[in-house]
Amino acid sequence: VAAQMANTKVPEVRDITRIERIGAHSHIRGLGLDDALEARQVSQGMVGQLAPRRAAGVILEMIKDGHIAGRAVLIAGQPGTGKTAIAMGVAQSLGPDTPFTALAGSEIFSLEMSKTEALSQSFRKAMGVRIKEETEIIEGEVVEIQIDRPATGTGTKVGKLTLKTTEMETIYDLGNKMIESLSKEKVQAGDVITIDKATGKISKLGRSFTRARDYDAMGAQTQFVQCPEGELQKRKEVVHTVSLHEIDVINSRTQGFLALFSGDTGEIKPEVREQINAKVCEWREEGKAEIIPGVLFIDEVHMLDMECFSFLNRALESDLAPVLIMATNRGITRIRGTNYQSPHGIPIDLLDRLLIIVTSPYTEKETRQILKIRCQEEDVELSEEAHTVLTRIGMETSLRYAIQLISTAGLVCRKRKGTEVQVEDIKRVYSLFLDEARSSQYMKEYQDSFLFNETQSTSMDTSQ
Amino acid sequence: MAVQSWIDALKSSKKTALIDDGKRKIHYLFTDGKEMAEEYDLKTDELIVRKWRQKSSLGGQGLWQVEVGEPITGSTSSLDSELLKENSSNPLFLRKDTKTSFQWRIRNLCYPKDVFSVSVEQSEKCIIIKTSNKKYYKKFTIPDLERTHIPLEDSALSFSHANNTLIISYKKPKEILNLEQELLKELKRLKGAAEGDMDCKTQ
Repeated sequence: VAAQMANTKVPEVRDITRIERIGAHSHIRGLGLDDALEARQVSQGMVGQLAPRRAAGVILEMIKDGHIAGRAVLIAGQPGTGKTAIAMGVAQSLGPDTPFTALAGSEIFSLEMSKTEALSQSFRKAMGVRIKEETEIIEGEVVEIQIDRPATGTGTKVGKLTLKTTEMETIYDLGNKMIESLSKEKVQAGDVITIDKATGKISKLGRSFTRARDYDAMGAQTQFVQCPEGELQKRKEVVHTVSLHEIDVINSRTQGFLALFSGDTGEIKPEVREQINAKVCEWREEGKAEIIPGVLFIDEVHMLDMECFSFLNRALESDLAPVLIMATNRGITRIRGTNYQSPHGIPIDLLDRLLIIVTSPYTEKETRQILKIRCQEEDVELSEEAHTVLTRIGMETSLRYAIQLISTAGLVCRKRKGTEVQVEDIKRVYSLFLDEARSSQYMKEYQDSFLFNETQSTSMDTSQ
Repeated sequence: MAVQSWIDALKSSKKTALIDDGKRKIHYLFTDGKEMAEEYDLKTDELIVRKWRQKSSLGGQGLWQVEVGEPITGSTSSLDSELLKENSSNPLFLRKDTKTSFQWRIRNLCYPKDVFSVSVEQSEKCIIIKTSNKKYYKKFTIPDLERTHIPLEDSALSFSHANNTLIISYKKPKEILNLEQELLKELKRLKGAAEGDMDCKTQ
């Protein structure tokens, strides 16, 4: 009967905006510090690493003050000790108004753009400018909202929205995107809303006083506001943050802003950048704009080569440079593009400019705590014993491997119609998937039967 | 005098003229970076279109803002259709001048004449159209008078209603009439360059 029910069920229309994928660091919501910048043991998804987190907190304050341009920080530590998590924590605590650009060291190597151009662009993406601009907004009370779905269930929806002020009334035809955001905001007749005409952003101001006597279930936070007066369309000054890169692109060619959508920005002439810099400084002096230094995070920074490092040296000295955070898991290794060895694969002269934060391996208790947080994030329930076993695996192999086992064990558990992951499920996936150490062991034993086994004498070089 | 400063601005702007499709088209580039484009009928010398364009504060190319003539349609980008646009049944406001008066037409207004009231608001230097049934409301200025700092007069204003269209007229003051005649003379002296397609030098 259940199967039949499932078959006759009308396929649910999935709203794309609601699906959130779970990423490796999606449980991080901040650095987990108290007001005195002291790290709490477990907070905002962060566990342990008290000293590095505190150090990152100090850097964060420096970024928020925004006076000092072009400071650089290096987070160094073994794989799986939370370097990227700390950077993500910084990004989360900065909030949406401070630009945060993240890239991996290998991203800048492209055939279409030179390495330094790619670096310049990411530098400028991480610098924000708060500027006042006049935009057209529509402000009114919703009289009627009507959305027609096509009978087939698919295809474009059409809709009409009637808005009024105390003096006038206008009917608008709605596009697809507007319909989506209107239903996301749950806009209904009687609400007073504003719509930014350029971006389509909707904000609900409250419910109209004329609707106050409607017998309707409403939350305690419902605010009542007056119906707006005068014309529906108004010009209003709004303050928003754009990155220097966006201004570059707008000014680099006639149809500039279209390039932002197509993603094809190409190389930007240095003269354009100089002009923009001068203009922005002028705005700042006139009080028209405010410069917001953001954060540029370069993961796997040892993948950069000598040219990039020397570019960084120079770029950090510009007064329009963001705070640079780099992360690496390498020890003393060759600097890419040279034959010299250096700590972290970074030249000494650049290292000298950096504040270095070191992360250390997690203790057993911390590993247990992290696994618990990940289980919550991935919606998998673990029995007490299974949790202990998984923590052991995490300590003996690696934290990443143990995290991988959470969702796979969860799946195995679901297949046997269990609700809680037991030790057996962990054992099952542990035998199914090899960790790095067992994989190497296996290779040593059976490498003769693999293809190209004669290359064993030359060790693999990954630093070039 | 204020009228003089506008004449000076017009004189100092870079102008390109072009005769095409029975219209005299003139493009002005002012010293502050603003652009103005005008179109005159060749036979009657009436102003058909006047539009303005200005760089946005971030340096991007702005869109043409129509001051006189039919609003630009059809060129709406795909972004617009994704968001929202006014329904075609809504009132349509446009300015269409005659020789002796500024005139505005509002189409798609199917209410009787006594619903409307049009008045000059001295404190805000604008004209306001109101409807007693609260369906339409519009506040607008006369840019020609703003540019020359000529105050608005109640007595110059009149309106009529016919064929679902509200027509509002405002008698042009003497200063404006003189100015327009002078400008037209100047424009006729401008070399009508080539006919048909050509690059606009000031653009």
